[in-house]
Parts: sequence; structure tokens; C-alpha cells
Amino acid sequence: MGPIKGRVEGRDIDQPALRARLGATLETARQELIASTERGEGGREALARYSDAVDEAVRDLVDAARTHTSTPIAVCALGGYGRRALSLHSDIDLLLLFGAPIGRPEERFVKALLHPLWDLRFTVGHHVRELADFDRLETDNPEFLLALTDLRPLAGDRELAGRFDAVLQGSSRQWHPQILEALVVLTDDRHSQFHDTLYQLEPDVKEGPGALRDIWATRTILKLGGDRRRAPRNEPADRLSDAEEFLMRIRSGLHLDMGRNLNVLSYELQEKAAERLHYADPDARRRAEALMTDYFKHARSVTRALGRVRRAALPPTPTPIRLIGENLMWVVEGITFANAAKAAASPASWIALFDAAVSRNVPAADDALALIEREQETHHYRPDAFHPTNDHRQRIVQFLRPRPGLSARLSEMRDCGLLGAIFLEFNEISCKVTRDFYHKYSVDEHTLLTVRNVERLMNHPRFGPVLRELRRPEVLVLTLLYHDVGKAREGNHSEVGAEMAAVMMDRLGLDNEDRQMVDFLIRNHLKMSRIAFRRDTEEPEVVKQFASLLNTEEHLKMLFLLTLADVGAVSAETLTPWKEELLWRLYVDAYNQMTLGYGDEIIDRKEALVAALQASRPDDISESEMATFLEGLPRRYLILFTPDAIYRHVRLSRNISPNEAHFFLEKKADAWELTVVSLDKPFLFSNICGVLSYFGMDILRGHALTSLSGLVLDVFQFSDREKFFERNSQAREQFDKRLTDVMSGKNDVTALLTGKEQSVLFRRGPARRAPVIYFDDEHSRRYTILELVAEDAPGLLHRISRVISEHGIDVDLVLISTEGQKAIDVFHITRGGAKLSEDAKAALKADLERMLKESA
Amino acid sequence: MKLIKAIVRPNMVDNIKEALGKLNIAGMTVTEVRGHGRQKGHTAVYRGREYEVSLLPKMEIEVVVPDNSVDEAIKAIIGAARTGEIGDGRVFVMPVEQGYNIRTGEKDVV
Repeated sequence: MGPIKGRVEGRDIDQPALRARLGATLETARQELIASTERGEGGREALARYSDAVDEAVRDLVDAARTHTSTPIAVCALGGYGRRALSLHSDIDLLLLFGAPIGRPEERFVKALLHPLWDLRFTVGHHVRELADFDRLETDNPEFLLALTDLRPLAGDRELAGRFDAVLQGSSRQWHPQILEALVVLTDDRHSQFHDTLYQLEPDVKEGPGALRDIWATRTILKLGGDRRRAPRNEPADRLSDAEEFLMRIRSGLHLDMGRNLNVLSYELQEKAAERLHYADPDARRRAEALMTDYFKHARSVTRALGRVRRAALPPTPTPIRLIGENLMWVVEGITFANAAKAAASPASWIALFDAAVSRNVPAADDALALIEREQETHHYRPDAFHPTNDHRQRIVQFLRPRPGLSARLSEMRDCGLLGAIFLEFNEISCKVTRDFYHKYSVDEHTLLTVRNVERLMNHPRFGPVLRELRRPEVLVLTLLYHDVGKAREGNHSEVGAEMAAVMMDRLGLDNEDRQMVDFLIRNHLKMSRIAFRRDTEEPEVVKQFASLLNTEEHLKMLFLLTLADVGAVSAETLTPWKEELLWRLYVDAYNQMTLGYGDEIIDRKEALVAALQASRPDDISESEMATFLEGLPRRYLILFTPDAIYRHVRLSRNISPNEAHFFLEKKADAWELTVVSLDKPFLFSNICGVLSYFGMDILRGHALTSLSGLVLDVFQFSDREKFFERNSQAREQFDKRLTDVMSGKNDVTALLTGKEQSVLFRRGPARRAPVIYFDDEHSRRYTILELVAEDAPGLLHRISRVISEHGIDVDLVLISTEGQKAIDVFHITRGGAKLSEDAKAALKADLERMLKESA
Repeated sequence: MKLIKAIVRPNMVDNIKEALGKLNIAGMTVTEVRGHGRQKGHTAVYRGREYEVSLLPKMEIEVVVPDNSVDEAIKAIIGAARTGEIGDGRVFVMPVEQGYNIRTGEKDVV
């Protein structure tokens, strides 16, 4: 209990003179506070000086009012006033405590104190109590109990104040836990009024999440002994103090500008506050953005501190501790390091902790986060420290595959500084604010929300399957982490972001396919929403133009999902069902254009891509050879293949005879690729598929394209399921011979496969979903398009294409893809040079259905 | 005063806003809506499976204009929103009895 300044009692007071004097003194104090605020210094010290001046006034008024009663009295400051943190228009909360029952004289005392305070323009929150009232706790008034934790005696009898202090201390075991509980409830209620997010465009600097009241709540929990298990280790008191100083200075400015006790940092006042706090950028908008960036940084560290002390204040729950991997334990708070010293010495092992946490969908434990934060702040590890080997680099990319809890773990990584240490460019958008009328969150928060949205898409009935079909979903998340990093620098953020991502991809050693995908997505991440929302997508030309941006269906799927995640993270209300519908329709139309409509778009020898191919043509290929090869191929061919691959195809097409196939086989990153050039003839496609099946290969994706001169180019990507190439030294020779023999007619691949197809190894259980066989005559002028979606099975493509050929049908274009257990094959077919009749379609469908049923 | 309510293609809103701006008609309310008129939606196919697109995304624009501006406002909207294809939308005109400015409390006099 601090000392209470004494005053001469029983003296007649000249009330008007006293009020005039106090009015003048307080006005001086107010002007001092205003001057400090204008200088941007309306923080803790300025508020304490002002509170001291108010103290003096209250003491004088208490002295003057003491003439009304001889009962012992103690007047105490509560709440913010108790903390000496009065702002210009703050309420002053007072406890008027009497040492005996309250009667008329005491009531007169109360009036004699309060009326002049009101006259002095104070809003007073007063609590009048007898000491005996505290024999029993006011458990139904948690706000009052809470206010008592900041109680500061101001005036009156020392002896009574001492007795009151003893009562409070004596019963603290009883009421501290209750206050703690009440504080948690009140805090949750308050946060819910702000939708539980600190990211407010116009934040309340007093009540908002991460604002002043959270700082006080954090301190109160610590004061009440909420650190039962341990004090939060890595939360220097300075961070809270820095945040408090920053917020107080802003709040002082708000009180000054608004002339009232209003604490909302509105859009208009942000620029003024930035100027007052000496933000230097010459541009007012940028000054405000910098202010808000700092605001979010402070609010975030306050939120983290409060979270930690709250968790530490929970009663400890006995829990089994499990070792779950190298130096990792699963404890009640989540995943932590078994040996802290070992972990501290090995930054490359930290990502494993978060991976283990995502796998179990539990948090990383506070002490592990604190260790990482401390070590990173001490050593400033560069990205290489986290991925010294190629294996580490791959693990980091793999970690990003979408799973429940990934975004929450990424948030923890961001908060402890690890995310920005591994992905340096991400650090540049930490708490970065862009002032526009639609983004509600800072850039890094928006970015992590996009990852959360991807997690949510996994279970979406319409979009989930698209996500599950992605070959490298982790590349989508990696792209999302970088899609807006360009906002940290000058220039078009899509272009700048792609350049920043290229540096990261160099560090992580991504292969060309991933690099090209990330680059494409970042550069084009706004295109799909702009077209869907602002262009007439019912116009086929609009869809065609959009589809022409995209190399493959994988690009379309990635861009579609990225767009959904990005728009949905702008604010909770942005991605309406209406916008979802527009995006979905554009996706479907573009998908159909790419898979069904591309056959009519034939290469024009005058187009730019052809000119470029001719210009860089190697010496051994003549202009006419190049032109002849390309004639009649769909335009898509030029997009699907690199110039080098095209020149290779031209060379393969030389001197080919009807029973010959020229081909080459090469190992790509995760699969093999077979390229075959031959002259068109019945069962050609089916035979090649048959040979692949014969060697146990799973066809993953591929294309068949036919030129006007009857040249057929087939490209298959497949996985070597039975490790034929790996285990047999003569495998390449055997494969080449078999394919040559089948193409020349020496071997009948159907006969070769008969035994295999009847083997139990080949058999799969009954199909879980019925196949879909669909004919489309709308999307192409030249072709009937057969789209077939079925459960994948060994030899499936061979059997399908064989049935088609048995019907005397020509297959000009084929698009093959497998997505998980699903095979999606699109055939552009004709019979006798025309589209199929209804009868022909019905007969083909019946035979395909029969074949699929029999082979199930 | 009249309330003009136009149901238009989503991509036509900027055109309409610009066209009305030229007539000094500044205020408008724009709402995302879904519906169908004679266009009645259509069937789309994805991966061989049909799905019904019965309610099409449209934008609803509401503007309140003085009686003597109604005709040119309607002309401006139709001119800006028209493609000539089915699905261009509809314009409705309704009487408005009174209007007030909430900030000032003043009654609109037009």
C-alpha cells in the first residue's frame, strides 16, 4: 500500500475559489498533454503527468469534502486511472471507501466530491462501499473485481487504506482465481465483438484484439499468479511496453482530434496520426500504410503475449509425453523438442517439428516456438541453414502440401520468425498494409488466409476434387506464399513478385516444370478473376483467349484454385456464391475449350510462334520440312512442347515407312516419357498403349496428335510401377525390340496381353464408381469428342482404344490424364472423315460399357 | 422521382455506370443477384457429367432519378448493357414517393 498524502482537515473551504483554482490547474495540465500529443509524445509519461495533476485535484476536493463527515474515508483510483494512464477524455474511476456504515453525512461527502468533478468536465465512474462490504466478494460484478487489481489509494485515511489492503491481500487466494476466470471470459467477449481478429481496417486502439486492454489483461494475468507452470520465456516486457507506448500515443491523438473518449483509429485519422508520429514518407498514403504496418506488428506481439500467458495460466493437465521422432516430443501444448540444446544447434531440424505438428493437427508448443525465435534472433540464420542439402530442400517444399492445420502452423512459423527466415522475401510483407477499399488484412495475413482457404477447399464438394487432382499441390501453396510478395516493392506486384519468387526457387533448387508453373501463376494471379467478373464469359472468344493463356489443364486448375483462395482471403465477405459460380463457369468453359475444342484450331504457318520456330531452326532442318511437319497439327502443339522438343519431333519424322515407328524414351523427374512418331494406321494408338501395359507401365498422361500428312505423334508419360527399367540391365533393349515388333506387325500385342489380363495381379476389385462415357458434338466442327472417365486400371487405355478401332473409327487426337485413381481420356474421333452418327455412337458406347464391366 | 431497376450482365456494370455518369446521375446501388428470364439457363458439361446452370449470375442496378430524367436514363442503361443476345437483361421503372438523406435528415426535392 503506497502512502496517502495528508491534508489539513476541518478547514472551511471557499468552494468557488477552489473550483476556479482546480479548473485553471487542470486546464494547464490538459494543455501540456495536448502539446505533448501534438509532438507525438502523448505516451506513458505524458499520461502519467496528466494523471498526477488529476490526483492533485481529487485530493483537494476530498480535503474540502471531509468537512461533511468524520467517518474514516479512503478514496482510490481504479482501472486506467489506477494505472496512471488517463487520456484527455478518459473517464475517471474512483472507489469511495468508508470505514463505517454509510449515512447522510457520508452521502453529503460523496456529493461534495462528485459534483465539483462533474463541473470540472470529468466523467466519473464511482463505486461507494463500506469496508464491511468486502467481507463477501462481489462475484456477480467481475468488472469491479478486475478494476480492483489496479487500485491505487489517492486520498483519505492511511489507516483505513491499510486495513482495506490487508482485507484484499488476505482474501486474494479466494478472489484471484475468480478474477482470472472473469478476465478470460470478458476478454473473449470483447474479442468476439471484433470477429476475433486483430486485423481491423479501422482498429479500436483500446478495446480491439491486440490493443491496450489486451496489454493490461496480460499484465493482470501475470500479476494474479497466472504463471503457474512457468512465465512466458521469450516475451520481453519491452515488447508490451513498446506496444503500449505506441498505442497510447495514437490514442492521445484520437482524443484530441475527436474531442471525445473515442478510440477508433478511423481511415481519415490514420494519415493524421502518421504525420503526428513523425512517419517520414512524403506521400500521405504511404505514411498511413507504414503506421498501420507498425500497428499490426504491435497488435500481433500483444496478441501472442496474451495467448501465452493465458495458456500458462490454465491449470496443468497431466498428460503422457510421447517421443514421436528424432528429438521431438508430443506434450499437452503440442509438439516440442526433447532436447532443447540439441535443437538450438540444428536449425535444419526445425521444420520437422512443424511437419510433425501438421501431421497430427496440433500446435507447435510455446517453448519450442520461443526457442526458435530466440535462436533466430541471436544467430540471424540465412536460408541455407534451414536447407543445407537437397533432401532438406525437398522436405521444405513437401511440407507445404495442403493438409488440415497447415496454415495455422505457417502462422506459428511466421510469428516466431522462421517463415521469414526460410522464405526471405515473405519477410518483406510482414504486417505490410496496403490501403485500398477491399483488402481487409495485412499482406502476410492475407497470404496465410489463402493457405487456410486451400485447406477448406479440400472438402468442398465441387472444388475439392480439382484440388485432389493436382499433381503438385505443394507448388500451389508455395505460389500462394509468394503471390503478393511483390507488394513489398515498387512496380507491378505480379511481375515483381515473380522475380522475387525466382530467387527463392534458385535457393530451393526447384525443377524447371515447378519454376515455370510458379512463375506463370504469380504473373497471372489476377487474370482469372478479372475475366470472370469483368468480361462476358458467355462470349466464346473470351473463353478462348483465356484458355490460350494456359499451357495445360494443370495450369488451369492451379490458377482456378489460386483465384478462389486469393479472392476468399481478401475479406470474409468477398468470395460470394455468386462469384464462385462465375469462376466455376469460366473454369468449366476453359477446361472444355482446352480438352474438347482445341482440335479445330489448326496451326497457321504465318503465326508468330511458327515464325519464331523457323527463325531459330537448326541448320539440319529446312524451312519446308518444318512447315510440312506442322501442317494440320492443332495450335496446342506449339504450346505443349518446347522448340527443342519440336525440332526433335521433326527429325524423328524423317524417312519413316508405313510399318515403322521412330521413337525415343527418356527419364523425366518423376516419370518416363515415350515419344513415338509413325504414319497413321488402324490400332496404332492401341498398340502403343498395349506395349506399355505389357511392361507393367502406368500411363499417367499423354497426347496423340495427327498432322495433315498422316504423321502421328504420340507422347506418353508413365510410371514404371514394377521397376522394370530399374531392375533389368537389358530393359531398354527389350522394350525397344518389343515396340518395334508390335509396330511392324511381327507381334500381336493383344495376344501378348491376354495372359496378363487374366492374372490375379492385374485384377482389381469392382469399380467404386460407374464410368462416364460422354459424346460431345458441340465443341468441335470436325470431330465427335468422346470423353471417358473411369477408374484407372492396368491396360485400360489399350482396351478402350482397341474397342474404338474395332468400330472402324479414326482417332486423330487423344488427351490422356490420370487423377488419383481416375482415368480421364478424351478422344477426337471420326469415321469416314465425318462425325459419328447417333447409331455409331450408341454402338460404341455399348461396347465400351461392356468392356469396362468385363474387365472390372 | 422514379426508381429504375436494371438486371444486367455482370460485365456491363462499368459501361452503365459511365453512361449514367454522363447524365450526371451519380448514385447507384449494385447487387449481385442470380436468376433467369427467357434465357432460362443452360446445361453445362464437365468431365462428361451434366450440371444445370439454371440461375445465371447477373447484376442488379438501382438508381433513383427525377421524373424528367427517366427516359434518358433508361436509354443510357439499355445502350450500355445491350449485346443483342438473349440474356442482356431487363429494366423496370417504379414510382418513388419520398426520399431522405440519412446524414442530414433532409427530404429529397426532385
